[in-house]
Amino acid sequence: MEDLAQAAIDAALKTGVSFADVRIENSTTTIIEINDGITRQSTASRMKGAGIRAFIDGAWAFAQTTNLTRDGLRTTGESVAKLALATQEKVAERFTIDGPVFEDKVKLNVKKPFDSISIEEKMEFVQMIDEQARDFDERIVATRSIYGELTSEIYIANSLGTRVSLQNAIPRVISAPTAKEGPNRQRIQESISLRSGFEEMETEEAQNIGTKAAKLVIALLSSKAAKGGVFDVVLDPALNGVVTHEAFGHAAEADNWPAHSTVLEDMVKKVVGPDYLSISDDPTLIGMRGSTEYDWEGTRTKKRFMVKDGILTDLLHSLETSSRLELEPNGAARAQSFMHAPIPRMSNTFMEPKDWGVDELIEDTKSGILLCSMNYGYTQPAKGQFMFQASYGYLIENGEKGTMVRDVSLAGNILEILSKVDAIGKDFELEAGSCGKDGQNVPTMTGGPHARIRQVPVGGM
Amino acid sequence: MQESGRYQWEVCEVKEKLLELAESAVKMAEKLGASQAEAYVGQSRAFVIEAANSAIRNAEEKHDAGIGIRSVINKKIGFAFVTTLSDEDVCEAVERSVKLAKASIPDPEFVSLPSDDNSYPTVKGIFDKSIAELAPEATADMIIRTIDASKQVLEGRNYAIDAGVQSSYGLNAVVNSLGIASSEQRSYIFLYSSPNVKEADDQTTSYDFQITRNLSEIDPEHVGESAAELTLSVLGPKTIEGGEMPVVFAPLGASRVIGYGFAGAVSAEEVQKGRSYITDAFGDSIASEHLEIVDDALLTAGLGSRTFDAEGYPSQRTSIIERGVLKGLLHNSYTANKDDVQNTGNASRPSYSGLPSISTSNFIISPRKGNLDDLVSEIDRGVLCRNTADLPNMTTGDLSAMLYEGFYIEKGEIKHPLKNTLIGINMRDLLQRITRVGADSKTTLAMITPSFVIERATVTSG
Repeated sequence: MEDLAQAAIDAALKTGVSFADVRIENSTTTIIEINDGITRQSTASRMKGAGIRAFIDGAWAFAQTTNLTRDGLRTTGESVAKLALATQEKVAERFTIDGPVFEDKVKLNVKKPFDSISIEEKMEFVQMIDEQARDFDERIVATRSIYGELTSEIYIANSLGTRVSLQNAIPRVISAPTAKEGPNRQRIQESISLRSGFEEMETEEAQNIGTKAAKLVIALLSSKAAKGGVFDVVLDPALNGVVTHEAFGHAAEADNWPAHSTVLEDMVKKVVGPDYLSISDDPTLIGMRGSTEYDWEGTRTKKRFMVKDGILTDLLHSLETSSRLELEPNGAARAQSFMHAPIPRMSNTFMEPKDWGVDELIEDTKSGILLCSMNYGYTQPAKGQFMFQASYGYLIENGEKGTMVRDVSLAGNILEILSKVDAIGKDFELEAGSCGKDGQNVPTMTGGPHARIRQVPVGGM
Repeated sequence: MQESGRYQWEVCEVKEKLLELAESAVKMAEKLGASQAEAYVGQSRAFVIEAANSAIRNAEEKHDAGIGIRSVINKKIGFAFVTTLSDEDVCEAVERSVKLAKASIPDPEFVSLPSDDNSYPTVKGIFDKSIAELAPEATADMIIRTIDASKQVLEGRNYAIDAGVQSSYGLNAVVNSLGIASSEQRSYIFLYSSPNVKEADDQTTSYDFQITRNLSEIDPEHVGESAAELTLSVLGPKTIEGGEMPVVFAPLGASRVIGYGFAGAVSAEEVQKGRSYITDAFGDSIASEHLEIVDDALLTAGLGSRTFDAEGYPSQRTSIIERGVLKGLLHNSYTANKDDVQNTGNASRPSYSGLPSISTSNFIISPRKGNLDDLVSEIDRGVLCRNTADLPNMTTGDLSAMLYEGFYIEKGEIKHPLKNTLIGINMRDLLQRITRVGADSKTTLAMITPSFVIERATVTSG
């Protein structure tokens, strides 16, 4: 591996670029999907190849190859360097890439490696989850249950001297039942995913996820469509995480600074929210989906205090952004696979807990909506606009949790929303997620405590 | 001429090689115990240039080649893919595919992979040699022209322009145990500009793009200019008093709501599973009589056009809605066999890296009359949804969509852009409430659609 990467780096430097790096990946996945008791999809994959970048004077080039021989790497290193040299004259700003050098071989220790469990056993696990949902209630008309696992090995090297190898393992279980009563049809998705071996699929929570999803979808049958309006909302940890991730995290990715594409551009070291509000992104947490010891540029990861006591503090950096902004690198460059160039990304993102009890928070709200569990969310950092949708929620009436409502959407602006956060709970939970940016998906986690936001527009039917 | 002759010959050779590779993978799977097998080989080259802060920053050349193998053993199905085409890796993928099939639970409703009993249509304009031969310098020039056009509109302002171009071409080959052995070459080019502009205490962005299979259609000046004008038009957004009011959907907003939000509901798989909000509606009047939708895989130079689908089955034109009546669903071989109806050839897959699902080819709303301005001029009080990123709940049809780019309309005129504004409506009502369909069709990533108007939806803003 070392000599293959070196061949590419040497070829690129010899061609005339000032910086080059290489990621060599060998990953496998297995996904088993059962629908209504029948195997709908059993798929296996192997991702094997190298991604190579070359840089000169502000011009980047990227290429990939699946020809993992010295010759293949050398040829690709040379052609990617030529591509960078070809665009060198057309860049606007010149800069150099610099950063700390790391040498490490990280081993990930899991209790039960995926290949120690037979494919038949995994199939039985999904079958059991699927049956749980189907057998729960006769109003469950369709079930969809999925088990997936990812194992990957990545070797990262660059022309500064960094040489890092990483291992990762992520299992996931999903239960998504559909329930029907008369013309009313509802669907929900529950999922668990961590950084571990198969052992995390053997916990009581994972082993009963089919029942949990079924119970929720049956409850949804008697929910009402929410009425639109401006409300005080209480977010559960999952949704608080989505708001934190969408409404804030993306805008703090440092590649937005050179591109002038974030509403936070002039806010660094300034107040962006109340002094009791802190938002962090922490890839060093043990066993979380977004965790990694080094990023995909081979930089050691650190906890990022994005908002500390209301002040915009740490940004999410790649080597390019820390070099250009002359800030400390913090290992936030990630890529979906060897087929993509690494860019600043979040890992495990959350609001730091404070002192409100959940019941206390609801009681104090008097009238509003408690929003739970997310369908999806997105943002446009250059504009500050974001939107997310909760799977379900409850009206808060006279300080009590009342009628269940579904598919509640919330829209807002990044710079306005944080100042509307007026109460933060003391509980804490992280949920599995995936985050997409520039066509690349990476595993993440999002969460925090319950929190209240005053007077936000909530969409309804 | 000589150049082009040599090129054609090389393409033929690659096609043959890919078909041979796919055939040998199918044979190998059969030998390991598969009663039916299918191999999909994809090989592509994409060239990408991206610009940030109004200058080029990044170039990418991506060569991708891989194979996916589907094995069937007594109605049990397994699938495996690998991102290389080396003998050793292909062997491993075939083995894993057969192994997964053996471990699966049989699907009683699986009948067979498609056979080669049908003839193939001729579809024109899906490969443009000039896209495949586009040099990096010419591509860079295209993006600089786009940026310059945006710059001209934004002169004197505080701006930064993101822009990008991607040219891509590829070959794919599908081979199965029942005699299907098809291969085809396709290409496209995608160009966009996304300026963002800062002004006093406001900052905003918008974009415009062009995607086509025909290089000569690319118009960098138009894309650049239009993107900048659109960005200026969304400066200074405000909220409004909500309530029930008409909504005008411009093509981009329409294509999100219909091209994904409705197209997903007419996928036979979703309908058969009871997961679609239009289940049991076949033959019913589900939309206003102004609405006519076809899925046409044979359209000349259409983005979704192809001779055969992702299972190698011949492409066709399928009527979905005629005068508001649901006439057809989108099928692949599995769903067609299950319902015992004609396959519509709508199998789709992400190249070699997945099993076939169902998607549209060219999903088209038939144009009627008038442009966006005409439609807006007929509204007394309402909103214009130029773009949204939201989708309905596919099971209930409930749609709660933020106006990603929205405008307030009063007395037939656009008054101002909107912020923090959502519309809420059920898709079944949305389809029935279409009162007007324009003629200003635009090709988006999802479909080809003109603007249209719905009589009313709930608007929330704050």
